[in-house]
Amino acid sequence: MLEEVTTTARSAIYAGALIYSVAFLFGMSALLRRTSYPKSIMLTLLLSGFIFQSLGLNLRGIQIKSCPLGNLFEISQFISWSMVLLYFIVGTAFSLRLLGLFTAGLASCLALTSLIIPGWDTPYPTSAAVNPLIELHASLAIFSYAIFAIVALISLMFLIQQHGLKEKQFRGLYQYLPSIQILDLVAKRLLITGVTVLSTALFFGIAFWISYPESVPLTKLLPTVLLWIGYSSVMVLRIRKRLGTRRHAIASIALFIFAIASLWPVQSVLSKNPAPAKVGKAPDESMRR
Amino acid sequence: MSNILKSLFVLASTHHEASLDVRETIALTPENVFALQQKLHSLKNIQECLVLNTCNRLEIYGLADTAEVEETVRDCVCEYNGVSRELLDTHSFWQTNLDVLQHAFEVSAGLDSQMIGETDILGQMKQSYALAREQNCTGTILNRLFEKSFQAAKSVRTKTKIAQGQVSIGNIAVDLGNRIFGNLNNSRVLLVGSGDVAEKTAQSLKSRGVADITVTSRKFENARVLAHKFGGAAIDFNDFSGQLKWFDIVISSTAASTAIINKDMLVTALRSRQDQPFFLIDLALPRDVDPNVDTLENVYLYNLDDLSAIANENIELRKAEIDQARTILKAHAWNLWLQLRRRTLAIPEETAQVSRSVLNT
Repeated sequence: MLEEVTTTARSAIYAGALIYSVAFLFGMSALLRRTSYPKSIMLTLLLSGFIFQSLGLNLRGIQIKSCPLGNLFEISQFISWSMVLLYFIVGTAFSLRLLGLFTAGLASCLALTSLIIPGWDTPYPTSAAVNPLIELHASLAIFSYAIFAIVALISLMFLIQQHGLKEKQFRGLYQYLPSIQILDLVAKRLLITGVTVLSTALFFGIAFWISYPESVPLTKLLPTVLLWIGYSSVMVLRIRKRLGTRRHAIASIALFIFAIASLWPVQSVLSKNPAPAKVGKAPDESMRR
Repeated sequence: MSNILKSLFVLASTHHEASLDVRETIALTPENVFALQQKLHSLKNIQECLVLNTCNRLEIYGLADTAEVEETVRDCVCEYNGVSRELLDTHSFWQTNLDVLQHAFEVSAGLDSQMIGETDILGQMKQSYALAREQNCTGTILNRLFEKSFQAAKSVRTKTKIAQGQVSIGNIAVDLGNRIFGNLNNSRVLLVGSGDVAEKTAQSLKSRGVADITVTSRKFENARVLAHKFGGAAIDFNDFSGQLKWFDIVISSTAASTAIINKDMLVTALRSRQDQPFFLIDLALPRDVDPNVDTLENVYLYNLDDLSAIANENIELRKAEIDQARTILKAHAWNLWLQLRRRTLAIPEETAQVSRSVLNT
């Protein structure tokens, strides 16, 4: 029965990732033909992929009786899922053209990579009662990563548009991208939101760390703190007008790459030293695949 | 009897031969156009002449007694624009006879323009022709040449779709404005100078939602009249650099001989703006905006060459129409050439000289 649920969860996640890829290829083919793609089709594809991915993650959650954030596979899936969810909000609120294409590209890349590499979906012990503080910390932290992913995408779009304007390029991708002023404004607002969410996540993390200082290794603490310092510095410098729009965009992309790259060492350490449960029960015998 | 058509000539330096930097130095001031035309016409062996001076070309059309006037004409041009002979020789060409007709026809039809198919050049040619006629610098041959070239331009526009699909500077400015600011409704525009192209560009921006257009000009009355037209305000020309920070789009088209907007001015203005970009459109020649400002972050500078390059990006789509237009113009040029040949061969040299002297007086 459990085996069946696991297979169904992975199949649904697979379907979601493939639909994201189709959405990306659809958008790219339209751009290569120098036409703009119908927004409704892109939205439908992303929504379909999102539904399948939600179903898959939900099945995983039921299986482990907590938020599925236990290994690199689940974290990557959760980031891509949150990213698409954010796209539905940000894309609709600001009418950012091509953000759907860029989101589909990164979401499919993250989701497919995590599916293709078997080592990322390593089994880990699950416990019946997980500390709610650590659950909240993890989900908020991963959600902030999704916000930073959207910031990185918008920053990339900003840099492409700025390059086009500086190099006097008129046709192709440039004419479909949103204006640099709007891209910069949205990136700035999302950065502030992301830093706030990450700070909240760290607040709950610290509360947990005070109770169980030995459970958080330095290899997890250091990259997380560095990332928080990095994003907070960019935010403060930007608000105080010490950082230009271009450098802000470059820093946002660099920090996101660092965030994604730091997941692997952090996660590999955590899989060796799992966080303790609130109620001192022995880890569940079932080891998921 | 000598054949006067042997010495029909054009000395031209256009955007094909000269970059924007070079064109800036070769271009003449309006006063010098007048003076050069008078000077050339006063020369003993030049019977007729006309100077066409625009942002993209300096052309001297003429009719000489002998075919050996090239050196004299080149020296005269260098005298008035102050450039070296070497520079002028490198960035110009000399054509005679039938080639002159073909060239003039292509120029009037907009085929030789930076933005192929544009119509502004026809108006500029008509203005130059009117000025030359007023000064009695043109005669039978150049009058016929220019009048026929205007007809040929009209014929090309009627028979081909050369003007269709052509993108105006105004439309490009609007599209670029959208890529920089998104919605233009909140953008503030400053018009520096009251040039025709700048006015049209501002008109395009206004039609796409720009509500606030301010004008400044050396002649405050001109600025006031133009501002009234756009429902905006006029500001003192001596004060405009201090006001730059309030504007998002600056369109400049003055006749100033040097840059009137430099990097320091923009650095100061940028300090007062909250990461808001600056869009500068420099339609002047010589340029009004120091090209170095483009190195500043948040500053997007477009000059005539940049805008023309963008306008011609769809040139491939119009290639067939351009070829057809060229064929029509060649036929017109050849017909005129035959007419002129017949006429000059039919008139004895003495009569021709008398008619020229009557016309010149």
